[in-house]
Amino acid sequence: MSGLMSKLAAGLRAAFTWGPAALVLTLAGVAMAQNVGTQIYDNTNRKWVDYTPQVAARYYRIHGQAPEEFQRQVVQFRTAEKPGTIIIDGDRHFLYLVLPNFQAIRYGIGVGREGFGWAGIVKVGRKQEWPTWTPPKEMIERDPDSAKWANGMPGGPDNPLGARALYIYEGNRDTIYRIHGTNQPWSIGLNISSGCIRMNNDDVTDLYSRVEIGAKVIVLMQGAALYKGV
Amino acid sequence: MVRVFGAAVAFAILLTGAPVRAADMVIGLPAWPSAQVTAHIIAETLKDRYGLDAELQERGTMTLLAGVGRGEVQVHPEVWLPNLARQVDKLSNEDKVLKLNTAGVSATQNICATKATVEQTGVKAVADLLKPEIAAQFDSDGDGKGEIWIGAPTWSSTEIEKIRAHSYGYDKTMTLLEMPEDIAMAAVDAASSLGRPIVFYCYGPHHVFQLHDIVMLEEPAYDPARWTIVHRADSNDWLEQSNADTAWDASSFHVAYAASLSEQRPEVASFLSAIALNAKDITAMSYAVEVEDKPADVVAREWIAGNKDRIGEWTK
Repeated sequence: MSGLMSKLAAGLRAAFTWGPAALVLTLAGVAMAQNVGTQIYDNTNRKWVDYTPQVAARYYRIHGQAPEEFQRQVVQFRTAEKPGTIIIDGDRHFLYLVLPNFQAIRYGIGVGREGFGWAGIVKVGRKQEWPTWTPPKEMIERDPDSAKWANGMPGGPDNPLGARALYIYEGNRDTIYRIHGTNQPWSIGLNISSGCIRMNNDDVTDLYSRVEIGAKVIVLMQGAALYKGV
Repeated sequence: MVRVFGAAVAFAILLTGAPVRAADMVIGLPAWPSAQVTAHIIAETLKDRYGLDAELQERGTMTLLAGVGRGEVQVHPEVWLPNLARQVDKLSNEDKVLKLNTAGVSATQNICATKATVEQTGVKAVADLLKPEIAAQFDSDGDGKGEIWIGAPTWSSTEIEKIRAHSYGYDKTMTLLEMPEDIAMAAVDAASSLGRPIVFYCYGPHHVFQLHDIVMLEEPAYDPARWTIVHRADSNDWLEQSNADTAWDASSFHVAYAASLSEQRPEVASFLSAIALNAKDITAMSYAVEVEDKPADVVAREWIAGNKDRIGEWTK
């Protein structure tokens, strides 16, 4: 199995299964959440393999990093968007930071367990190093252990928000969504967060250092059904 | 100096009662780059050649045309046909308050894909989207149907694209997406970067044709006998009563202006009727604003500086 896993690379695709639709947030239109799983291509056996949390954790344990496709890299990216703009493709688990000369830095991301849940044009409203994490009420009800952090867990390597957080605003309003680091770096490429965009700590630190407050953030339609019914 | 008025500013002035000297003319400023540059070219020329102070108002097309009808707006820099044919016909021929510049810019409206999409999926024609095996290759949400962007919700073309999808029948195999253009174009950029298939409504002149290797999908030539457009506002059953299963008619866009100018400011009416931009001009404007990130008024001044002879011809 480890041999197979070491050959996993060179391509990704999403395999989709429907989850319960839920209206999460309306930005540019009606947004419906959904489940979107990931597959990665096994070059040796020439077939797509489900990239499940178990597979991802095993891969990370062996290699100490996510598959190549999810690693930070400069890619050609011809766009009319200005350098400094962030484009989030939740379907493909990529976040692009637009660079000059039709290039972009592409980072691997993890997204919400029911998909990102919305699409639209927003901006970076605030940035924070080693952010404090406060578990939501629902999580405290579900997991009593998290109650000890009801007033906020200080930033640090065990903090689920990781090393940096970019707070997503719509106009001057905090959307409650963040692009943040993680204490589970193996989860990049998966849909297991609570709806935010998670990156490994090196990547989110790199992104943080490059992005200005006010930067435009375009969240692509995830599983395009986001716009059904509009 | 050309004044630009957005809705918020105008509203604030209404509230505060701050005195504002009325401009000589009001020019509409629609929300796409070539129209904005053209509006600034017209405003600058009115100032330079005729000493007229123009106010630019950011409004949607339907609001601007209604403003022409009320005598509140004198110029719309870019009115698209056949998209607005019904409204233009009413304002021009029935109400006689609007005139259209005859030297319009030829335009295109199609369903497009990247070249890589055509090579990967085998899609060549719009009708191919009816084939489930083709449509499924554009499926990004696992429901078995593909996805296609058909335009922004407020565009006049979007309603017609819905009719076209229904008439061809690919509204059964594809999910029709409406969203702002920035999101749709970023999706094209991302798909192109990854080599992923994507199909979308496209119009030209547009900078997307400079950014990416774009292919227009084939379809039967425009046939007026197969185009019946019933607007949503006119009938609850508009989709079933409409039909449009051929290519768009030859499209064009024109400077539109208040018919009253012919009597009140004939020299201005003469200038507006003589404006003759071409597709190359429009593409360059769109590219300069969207890709090179230049403000529309700067692009306009640069264009004027490089086209003094043409401005001279138009203002004779």
